[in-house]
Amino acid sequence: MTHIPRIGIGGPVGSGKSMLIERLVPMLAQKGYSVSIISNDVISKEDADRMRNNLATKRGLLPENLVIGLATGGCPHTAVREDPSMNLSVIEEMEAKHPDLDLIIIESGGDNITTTFSPILADYFIYIIDVAGGDKYPRKGGLGIESCDLLIINKIDLAPLVEADLEIMKRDALKIRKEKPFEFVNCKTDKGIMKVTEHIIHDVLFDAQPKSIIAQKV
Amino acid sequence: MNIDEIEQELGVMQLSDSFFPTGIFATSNGLEYLFSQNKIHGMTDLAEMVKINIIQQIGPTDCIALADIFENSNEGNFDRIIQADNTLFATKSIKEIRDASVRSGIQLVKCVAEFVKDDKMLKQYQDSILEKKANGIFPVAFAICCNAMKIKKEKSMMMMLYGFSVAVVGAALRLGLIQHFEGQKIIHKIKPVIAQTIKENSNKSLSEMWQFAPQMDVIQMSHEKMDSKMFIT
Repeated sequence: MTHIPRIGIGGPVGSGKSMLIERLVPMLAQKGYSVSIISNDVISKEDADRMRNNLATKRGLLPENLVIGLATGGCPHTAVREDPSMNLSVIEEMEAKHPDLDLIIIESGGDNITTTFSPILADYFIYIIDVAGGDKYPRKGGLGIESCDLLIINKIDLAPLVEADLEIMKRDALKIRKEKPFEFVNCKTDKGIMKVTEHIIHDVLFDAQPKSIIAQKV
Repeated sequence: MNIDEIEQELGVMQLSDSFFPTGIFATSNGLEYLFSQNKIHGMTDLAEMVKINIIQQIGPTDCIALADIFENSNEGNFDRIIQADNTLFATKSIKEIRDASVRSGIQLVKCVAEFVKDDKMLKQYQDSILEKKANGIFPVAFAICCNAMKIKKEKSMMMMLYGFSVAVVGAALRLGLIQHFEGQKIIHKIKPVIAQTIKENSNKSLSEMWQFAPQMDVIQMSHEKMDSKMFIT
């Protein structure tokens, strides 16, 4: 069975995970990449419904059935780290039905700053936090912030409003993450999103062309 | 207890552990709907719900299929296993429960096959799932995995029914319907029901499979359609 590259996007409630996906998918689609989204949520499929509506129904960037919502029953962290089998099962079904996909994005939230993805579930792990949580956030660390492949600090426009110093966040992110990358973004305006897209294309897809383009050449 | 028996007991503990990755941590079997409608209150009601599920649904379907698998695994009758898989699949009339059962069954087989490499039936069943000849429904997958791990029939039934009871009690705890000590009291109270169900269903054949809990079916269907919920039905 084809292994389709998988990105896990985690972060606290309200940090902008769904918004990030809604910004990333059009940029990836524009470059020809075919993406599917799995959204883990504690009590509802609201995020998945919203993404399906915004990305599939209204804009036609992907088929509606490629946005899947999973209600995880109290702890999405369990679903993505301790027992990822529910997500794995859905991914395996998609790999069998849609081998032409270039990328699968798995979203999962949680207030716990140690929320991480099992390596068996996600090949690449993006953790997103937001400036509104204060400039102490990167310094506080935690598995998500320290170990993710790419740290995203969202809502940079709010920094002056909450008296957060982006330079402090940058200094602490550099210190705590050592050589690992991080990006400042504003999902509302797309600022920084292209850089995130480039990370994905380079680090996850290894700069490979979209499968649809490769197929055309063959 | 000799070394083999100790290893078998450890197998029981391994498969019964909530840490074992089969993705069934998020089910309530319709309890959440009852709770949201304010139709279930406290320990007594919850114990009654678990009891009805075991006696009227799981006992005469899942337990019979599981027992039948044990009899036929030992005889190498694989056609019968496919028959049990299909028959049980057909009894799961609520789509969400059916899908969850298949997904967790497939993941169970996949996980056990990672560390049990010498069981022909397990390998054959896994291949059949991949070839779409078998559904991979959980009780059948569970029976095959238990058998592959040398766990005996009655113990496997016990584990399945206990696992179901704990899942519902755990969901009740998370919903705030009961408290921790009450949860343990329910599990204790349900033990004779589990024992009796095993006794009644451990020697029946597939043709004796039945279930009748229409009100539970309606509750589970209603839960399936809820917009906002913490649990898979």
